Amino acid sequence: MQDIFLSVAIIIVIASFVSLYRGIEGPGIFNRIIAVNVIGTKTIVLLVLIGFIYERPDFFDIALVYAILNFIMTIAATRY
Amino acid sequence: MFDSIIIIIVVLLLLIGLFFMLAGTIGFVRFPDFYSRMHATGKCDTLGEGLMLFALIIYETGYEGLFKGDLEHASFVSIKIILLILFILLANPTSTHAIAKAAHDVGLQPWKKTDETQWIYDQDLGTDEVMNGGEIK
Repeated sequence: MQDIFLSVAIIIVIASFVSLYRGIEGPGIFNRIIAVNVIGTKTIVLLVLIGFIYERPDFFDIALVYAILNFIMTIAATRY
Repeated sequence: MFDSIIIIIVVLLLLIGLFFMLAGTIGFVRFPDFYSRMHATGKCDTLGEGLMLFALIIYETGYEGLFKGDLEHASFVSIKIILLILFILLANPTSTHAIAKAAHDVGLQPWKKTDETQWIYDQDLGTDEVMNGGEIK
């Protein structure tokens, strides 16, 4: 079961690198904001998967805080 | 028996969530315009993430909790992940709406399907960058 979680986590990392391309290359500031949002969304799932792989429940707290930070960052960046 | 059924359900849900997440990523890279990119990411990310976290809840309560008998720890972890799913289902559409409203207020025009000559004409005039790029002047 750990191997399945590990392979899913590796695929998510590859997908977040693919969407990092749009964050670097993509024209305009809005594409970059939404790229950061997408990578943050993938990172939340990645943190929960890491918590399951190493069997440490501390990572779920980090994932919750990361979700709140991601939401606040997006709202602040669109309000300025 | 009970063990393998739960693992099959968990792997199936994880694969469906992974499919939605990859579809959102491909749409985010390949779509021609900011609004359509946001259409791809906003839906697929929320759904993929919800399904994958739901699969992890089933794994935790079913496999670790009921099968191995550590129910207290399993319910503690599951409540945290349920809170995470609820927060994401609230926050992710809100942030998508906020980005779309900010782009609309700035004056970013949606992409229209033009024929070949019109496309070249726009590129020659240099308005293509303004229409599709969304650089704020």
